[in-house]
Amino acid sequence: MLKNYLLVLTALIMINKNHSQNQSNFYGSFESNGIYYQENEQENYANEFASNNYLNLKYLFNSSWNFEAQIESYSPMRLQGYSDSFEKTHLSTLSINYKKKGFGLTFGSIYEQFGSGLALRTWEDRQLGINNSIWGIRSTFENKNINLKLIGGWQKKGSQISVGKVIGLDSEITVFNSSEIYQNLMLGFSYVGRFENLAFPAIYPPVGYEFNDLTSLFSARIDYVKNDFYFGYEQILKSEDGITQFGLILNDFVKKGSAHIMNLGVAKSGFGFDFTFRRLENMGFFGDRFEQGELFGETTINYLPALTKQHDYLLTNINIYESQPYVSFPDPSLMKAGEIGFQIDLYYDIKKGSVFGGKYGSNLSLNFSSWYNLDGEYSYNPLDYNSDFLAFGQKYFSEQSVELRKKWSENFSNIFLFVNKFYNKRYIEEKFGEVNSQIIVVDNTIKLKNKRSLRFELQHLFNKDDKKNWYGYGLEYNFNYNFSAYYNNIVNYQNIEDDKPSYYSFGTSYTKNSSRFSLSYGKQRGGLLCYGGICRYVPEFKGLSFSINTSF
Amino acid sequence: MLKKIKFFSVVFMLHFCINAQENVPNIALKTISGSSLQSSEILNNDGFSIISFWATWCIPCINELDAINELYDSWNENHNIKVLAISTDDARSKKRVRPMVSGKNWSFEVYSDTNQEFKRSLNVSGIPHTIVAYGSKIIHRRIGYSPGEEVDLFKIISNYNQE
Repeated sequence: MLKNYLLVLTALIMINKNHSQNQSNFYGSFESNGIYYQENEQENYANEFASNNYLNLKYLFNSSWNFEAQIESYSPMRLQGYSDSFEKTHLSTLSINYKKKGFGLTFGSIYEQFGSGLALRTWEDRQLGINNSIWGIRSTFENKNINLKLIGGWQKKGSQISVGKVIGLDSEITVFNSSEIYQNLMLGFSYVGRFENLAFPAIYPPVGYEFNDLTSLFSARIDYVKNDFYFGYEQILKSEDGITQFGLILNDFVKKGSAHIMNLGVAKSGFGFDFTFRRLENMGFFGDRFEQGELFGETTINYLPALTKQHDYLLTNINIYESQPYVSFPDPSLMKAGEIGFQIDLYYDIKKGSVFGGKYGSNLSLNFSSWYNLDGEYSYNPLDYNSDFLAFGQKYFSEQSVELRKKWSENFSNIFLFVNKFYNKRYIEEKFGEVNSQIIVVDNTIKLKNKRSLRFELQHLFNKDDKKNWYGYGLEYNFNYNFSAYYNNIVNYQNIEDDKPSYYSFGTSYTKNSSRFSLSYGKQRGGLLCYGGICRYVPEFKGLSFSINTSF
Repeated sequence: MLKKIKFFSVVFMLHFCINAQENVPNIALKTISGSSLQSSEILNNDGFSIISFWATWCIPCINELDAINELYDSWNENHNIKVLAISTDDARSKKRVRPMVSGKNWSFEVYSDTNQEFKRSLNVSGIPHTIVAYGSKIIHRRIGYSPGEEVDLFKIISNYNQE
């Protein structure tokens, strides 16, 4: 198989050389992430080397035609925490695109998003092991006021494709767009359908099924901006579908779904405010129905991220909220049909020369978010529910955070962060307990002479519940703009039960233009690894890691 | 093992055999108020563009853009430079982009690449990732940000001007 790739690649290089006088261009990128696992929670990974490798190639024939391919290699085995469907070396994506005068056509692997992605989003996230691109055909048309997309195909599932077929239509209309008074109004309408014929052993009771093979999502959205003010609303209705529970699709638990998201805000010079409300009910939607509730959730069609602030520090990333859009009835004391809640963001620029701003000014940002189960009537026997529209049930998660960025001199600046968090482990992880925690972070940067700089951070997590208090610290030294080294450590110093575990890491990185190489050694905390509100479980491990990134 | 050697040989060969990406591709983007436009419309056609890929949750990205913002006015006095901050925030954090940009008083242009089509077309895998273009021609690109590195970008532009 690899011989074939070599032939294709060689052919492309030859084509490129022969056409160098034209506008053609052949370029690509390569990423490799490898770990030698010294100790591991999963025995089959202990003392083993694993790596995930991605080679992406693009060929631009001319201004209208281009070609893209990605080869992936999981060799000698995939990194732990990735789906079994990522295996060996294989051609992962392949597409040919044509674009001229507002008209576009794609054959092959398609990345697409309708509106905010609430109805359809296909994308790649290598850290999470997500690539749900659609293998099929897409046609697009756009002019000044109208944007149309038509898409159809199967979803990528590792080195295979989904059983279910996906079709979609999206339209976006600019009703008016005036730059003179800075006002615009846009309307959008989408349809997404998933057709999957189920085999009877998958259905319970196994007597045929009442719902259709085709499940449909209808979406309408509006976005309005006038000067400093903006407003947006999107509503989605999902047709009846059998709910996936206990590894079966239940023929006697068939429900519709819905989503509402409303957003408004003010953005003036030096001040920004945003409010977002969202309600999701039974919004799980997968190319293959059985992926719902599975560990990796491959073939997800719609994008339903957690609407909370994303953090970048080690202790703030303990007990992260994962959105709860699905129906889940694991036992009579835990029944969920979705989520409802809101998020508020506020940004303020404290002016230079003011009492609090000082000589260099500072930035203040606040974030509040609260998420709940849908309130209503729930029944375990028989399985059923009726949710109220604007009623808040058991609290899943809430967070309040304050961040202040302050520059004290030309060479010294810092970031202060305080986070207060409530995490309902019972409802989010379907385990036991609730966690109330507060986290403080102080992150300092000192610019030194000759391109050198030093960054050091201190963190503390106060927690009377669960695994008690943590502290953490980190040190990063940049020898110049290319070469840096770091050390960080977090210690669960009040967790006597687990013998006060500590998770440390030290390493170095070298960057030159668009290439980066890094090497590190350490012990990584097990748990949910989350990016963009989507999480995957990573077991605890100790080992040596490397990463190579290059664009060429 | 042999397969692995072959795979890495291909990568090694490609690195030397094929051309680097020469031009900024023409891809659809959105303004932070939601209007659609093409990347060719926002590039500085008769001068330099610094294209910085960032996100609201990326601390080094914000450090870089804060640092650029402080120097931006003085850069423009000496050279024809346009800074284009491309937000890669998806639906999770996209709503935070507009208030953050206003709250920080950034004086350069900010655009939204929500499904990361522009990022993918430029082979950007991680952020911060900064590209310097003259017209649409790519003259420099770099991964990551170290404090003070923004001054280096300005030097690259100055040196290119002298050439």
